[in-house]
Amino acid sequence: MKYLSEYRDPALAQALVRRIRRTATRTWCLMEVCGGQTHTIVKQGLNEVLDGAVEMIHGPGCPVCVTPLEQIDRALALAADPRVIFTSFGDMLRVPGSECDLFAIRARGGQVRIVYSPLDALELARQNPDKEVVFFAVGFETTAPANAMAVWRARELGVRNFSVLVSHVTVPPAITAIMEDPDNRVQGFLAAGHVCTVMGWEEYIPLAERYRVPIVVTGFEPLDILEGIWMAVRQLEEGRHEVENQYVRSVKREGNRAAQALVERVFRVVDRTWRGVGTIPASGLGLRDEFAAFDAEKKFDLLHITATEPAECRAGDVLKGRLKPFECPAFGARCTPSTPLGAPMVSSEGACAAYYNFGRFHEAATQEATP
Amino acid sequence: MCLGIPGRIVSMRRDEGGLYNGVVDFGGVRRDVCLAYVAGEVSVGDYVIVHVGFAISKVDEAEALRTFEVLREMSQLDELEWMAQLADGADAVRAREVAP
Ligand code: SF4
Repeated sequence: MKYLSEYRDPALAQALVRRIRRTATRTWCLMEVCGGQTHTIVKQGLNEVLDGAVEMIHGPGCPVCVTPLEQIDRALALAADPRVIFTSFGDMLRVPGSECDLFAIRARGGQVRIVYSPLDALELARQNPDKEVVFFAVGFETTAPANAMAVWRARELGVRNFSVLVSHVTVPPAITAIMEDPDNRVQGFLAAGHVCTVMGWEEYIPLAERYRVPIVVTGFEPLDILEGIWMAVRQLEEGRHEVENQYVRSVKREGNRAAQALVERVFRVVDRTWRGVGTIPASGLGLRDEFAAFDAEKKFDLLHITATEPAECRAGDVLKGRLKPFECPAFGARCTPSTPLGAPMVSSEGACAAYYNFGRFHEAATQEATP
Repeated sequence: MCLGIPGRIVSMRRDEGGLYNGVVDFGGVRRDVCLAYVAGEVSVGDYVIVHVGFAISKVDEAEALRTFEVLREMSQLDELEWMAQLADGADAVRAREVAP
């Protein structure tokens, strides 16, 4: 496929790996923020071929993984309500809530539908005027324009039986939280290419300055990631800390202004809790008051539902890069993709699931064991 | 979930509400895609990055080629260096053989 398969060329990948290894005079700790990149890195074994030059810490950039438990519980309550058709992207269905997941609710007769786009959920609402259709609006800045459009259109078309359960998070506050953590080991970031496609990269400049950390906007294919790593390593070796753009074929400095404008119209910045991490100030988006009629939290009075996360899951340590997934005592034993204890085992973009699915933990474990 | 996939615009139209939509081809699989956020920059035949049913950018083909050229050159350069190293290595071996 054009603009996809070319960026998987193994010979070029090897050349980049050699470059990185030759450039690095020590092991640099880099974090890829986005779960899509985690998936590629673990699948292709990039962390192993770069061993000794670069250690990749897998960041909190999987929206499925960081959606807080209480928001999942609210989704479950809605899905169990006979008046409601609950709609969601497919990867949210297996995320464990306090008692079960959306699949289980569906098996018990709840109306849960997987949609490809939030506009499909809106269409479903128009076709089912006697039902309340709720869409689970999760995601980073990449997904916010789509969800903003669904809400905007619902108001324009006067669709009253449509609402969204919002759990939007944003990347820059997460980078701040990681850099402010006293145990932080991250020395450079690969910023998520599709988040920056929407938002541009200007908001990363003050972060690179303040924390003296290179930030490279990076795409998702193996060659993109390797080139992004190489650019970050070069900066570190040269003592620079700048924002650079590897993913030029999609990302413009100013991002997608039309998308930003609608996101700004529909959403406002709010504090958000990240599953496993805790509350990060001003780290998410919620609906503006003028769209309250489309806010499922208000429409269905869900705010009394709260939850505390189980202690056994070490997702917080994994997402902060303090623990490799295979170092979690539950990994692969009590916790597997079919019986996940925590969200990072659910999504194929979650760090725990990525290690489990690609069997990397064996090699990684032996590597860790040898001094 | 944050997947964004490049595809080629096959057709474009405006829906009842005046929103730009289109059909995008992803290596043979075709889907309806909302083009509202790239309207004005794209036409049929262009490549766009699509995320959850929305085009979020037009693929800059010139930049895509350029990135690729840089990588290719780098790899060729590497190969030359590699061969040079091999040649050096061969000299070294010969030198050792000659040395008493
Ligand atoms: S392996 Fe399972 S229990 Fe352990 S951190 Fe990952 S998701 Fe949580």
